[in-house]
Amino acid sequence: MKNILANINKAFENRIRLGIMSVLMVNDHADFISLREMLEVTDGNLASHLRALEDYGYISAEKKFINRKPNTSYRITREGEESFRNHINALENLIKK
Amino acid sequence: MQGNKYWLYKTQPVYERLILAGLIITDTLHWRHSGIMHQIKQNLKKSFFLIFLFVALQYKVLYLKIMEKESQPLEDIKIIKKMMEESSRFLSLSGLSGVSAGILAIAGAIAAKLIIPDSIITGEGYSESFGASSEGITIIKLLFTDAALVLVLALASAFFFSWRKAKRDGKSIWTPVTKRMFLNLAIPLAAGGLFVIITMGHVPGHVSASATLIFYGLALINGGKFTFSEIYWLGVIEVLTGLICLLIPGYTLLLWAFGFGVLHIIYGLFMYIRYKG
Repeated sequence: MKNILANINKAFENRIRLGIMSVLMVNDHADFISLREMLEVTDGNLASHLRALEDYGYISAEKKFINRKPNTSYRITREGEESFRNHINALENLIKK
Repeated sequence: MQGNKYWLYKTQPVYERLILAGLIITDTLHWRHSGIMHQIKQNLKKSFFLIFLFVALQYKVLYLKIMEKESQPLEDIKIIKKMMEESSRFLSLSGLSGVSAGILAIAGAIAAKLIIPDSIITGEGYSESFGASSEGITIIKLLFTDAALVLVLALASAFFFSWRKAKRDGKSIWTPVTKRMFLNLAIPLAAGGLFVIITMGHVPGHVSASATLIFYGLALINGGKFTFSEIYWLGVIEVLTGLICLLIPGYTLLLWAFGFGVLHIIYGLFMYIRYKG
């Protein structure tokens, strides 16, 4: 039981973080606005979870300007992809038990 | 996303503690005025009852907490799957789009049958001089208008029904996924359109017709990556129909009506039933 739970990543315990990681797993990149629309969350909420994931090193942010408007686009890092895959496997193992 | 349950079990114990404390304090204030033993008895009774209630509620909360913990991995996996699907596939494509496109295509094929003189259909198919004769040019122009009209109306109806489905599900229709899907659909489709326009009049009619089917099928195979996977198989069948159309020149119109009409209607109904919209 213990070694199964060891793979459960604390960083992904929140549903919004799960959503962010899922979107970035299947999309090359996603910007803040489309993430907000897909996850149906408020700006502040999304921003804080994005920052947390960034601090873990699981996603990377790239700021640029489109038509003079700031636009932040996020993509998953190699580390993030690996950790998230491990997390999904751990969840699936928990269900099988 | 987490719902109200979390809020409940986080705040409830604190509430209960406060109520309990409040009741005990008010009771001790009453003590001084009447028989003290009676009051103590009453108070103990009340306290025991409250403690019992408190413990029961706590257990219930604990129980709820355990239930949540156990169902969480499953819920999490469901959320992951849903988000992956929704963010990478355009799921608002309505089955009714297919049905309406099919009906329009059949109407277009019937119109084409009326435009094309019988002599050409029953005859040897194609003669070199046909494309150059003034009669031939008018017929080609009419057929081209017919096909273009069907295409525009079919696209408009596809957009309308998808827009309606998206609105019903509370989703936006213009997402990065839709953009990617349109781009992937448009490239083979535009190539096919140009091919047909450029070669028009220089190749037999059944070649043009089969080219529209083949290029359309390839567009679906390509764009299908961004919507329901069933589109892929529709594309494959369209390509096959196009190839058959190329091999049997006598049945051009019939095969064209089958490819763009019947297949679309069958596909649309299937999708409408399977995905409820």
